[in-house]
Amino acid sequence: MEALINKIKSSIHLSSEAEAYLFSISTEKTILKGETLIRQGQTVKKTFFVTDGCLRSYCTDKNGKEHTLQFAIKDWWISDFIAIYTNELATLTVECLTDSTIIEFNTKELDEIHTRFPEFESYQRHNLERHVVSLHKRILNQLQLSAPERYELFLEQYPDIEQHTRNYHIASYLGITQQSLSRIRVEKAKK
Amino acid sequence: MKALQLVKYGEIKDSLTFNEISKPTINSKDVLIEVKAAAINPIDKLIILGNLQGMLPVPFPSTVAYDVSGIVVDKGAEVSDFEIGDLIYSRVPQEQMGTIAAYVAVTSAAVSKKPGNITFEEAASLPLAGLTAMQSLEYAGIKENDKVLIHAGSGGVGSLAIQYAKAKGAYVYTTTSSDNVKWVKELGADRVIDYKTEDYKIIVKDVDIVFDTLGQNYTLEAFQVIKQGGKVITVIGALDEDTAKMFGMADYKMPEELAKRISAKEATYKYIFMQPNGAHLNEIKLLVEDEKIKPIIDKIYPFSESIEAFTHLASGRAKGKIVIKIS
Repeated sequence: MEALINKIKSSIHLSSEAEAYLFSISTEKTILKGETLIRQGQTVKKTFFVTDGCLRSYCTDKNGKEHTLQFAIKDWWISDFIAIYTNELATLTVECLTDSTIIEFNTKELDEIHTRFPEFESYQRHNLERHVVSLHKRILNQLQLSAPERYELFLEQYPDIEQHTRNYHIASYLGITQQSLSRIRVEKAKK
Repeated sequence: MKALQLVKYGEIKDSLTFNEISKPTINSKDVLIEVKAAAINPIDKLIILGNLQGMLPVPFPSTVAYDVSGIVVDKGAEVSDFEIGDLIYSRVPQEQMGTIAAYVAVTSAAVSKKPGNITFEEAASLPLAGLTAMQSLEYAGIKENDKVLIHAGSGGVGSLAIQYAKAKGAYVYTTTSSDNVKWVKELGADRVIDYKTEDYKIIVKDVDIVFDTLGQNYTLEAFQVIKQGGKVITVIGALDEDTAKMFGMADYKMPEELAKRISAKEATYKYIFMQPNGAHLNEIKLLVEDEKIKPIIDKIYPFSESIEAFTHLASGRAKGKIVIKIS
């Protein structure tokens, strides 16, 4: 919890009341590799902040194949934000790739923090801005970069992630086949 | 719900029919699966023809087939490993046979989450053949640097056995016909023997394990190519005495010639009867996700053409598995 408080304090002034409220609505949890926090097709009520470990959100297409949207490592938020903001059922599954510790929030209670403590509005706006930037970058990279370039960027963005993930997790994040990923790795090793 | 059912033993076209039946009910250890894909195997054909009436009698009408992939839509009170919405695959046990249907109830012990990197159709092609390959080679204690002969490398079981043996670090010999040499080689086999132009008995010497998927004279010939103390695992040859006892045949004696050859080579001989097993399927899932095992599909049929799928199976010409897309 301290990690999250420090992260918030680095961008806004956090009153002791707001800090106390945050504590009161959060639950710190240890989750095991393989556990599922959100399941495609179900209602989404929770948002998670990762303090240690690695989680993944992905959707499964009609043929049963998985497509990875996001990995969440230390200090990242993860949930199915489509479901939360549009009030629809989950299109994503969120699973734990390695034993992790997370802070769990009920989204309604987390939302209420903005009415109770207006200073959070600017923190939230700051978060959303960063999120939009990262999403736009991801879309543009997908459109204009080659697969090896996307892999390089991925390694910069998620250092050390390879020890927590299987090949198909990364391939399905980059939108390439596992064979292509293997070829890219071989080429990279030769350089 | 719609289901493909066996109404009597006999020719495929006379015995199979689509029926409207009620959705299966589940007991406390079952999951109810909305079927996305089913796959068919040689055993299904034998059941339809009535060749297995003695061992595996089925009541009429019975929904057919064992392999399935799909989504968990309901679960019994004692099921803790699976949740509604989980994507799974299974080789359902004999008493729950019937995967060519909109829904099937399966004991959760026979179920595993499906590999995430393959489609429902690919996942449905794996359980029966994959478990047969894995349980046979594991019974033989396969390990790194073992030399293994796998017959019929282009078959449903053979193609997965080659990949499993390679994943374990073994050196793999396999037999196949000229047309299949190229793609069987691509599965990773070290030495692909074209049985139309080469005699495998000259090429293969002193192997640790023979995996016999052909039976007949191949079972006896296996003892010519194994090393002293080697192992012959069969899924089609004569029963060994322990397995016969398991089937209630107390007075069973192995064919004399077979017994003689086993003893001359101080060999292990075992008939493997595949057991449905969710934990084993989970190990196969991990190998698939690491691309150590790739499903091989011959053709995918729509639900409405399931009977044609069986006719294709009966032709014996399929290269890889025959799958039926249910929904």
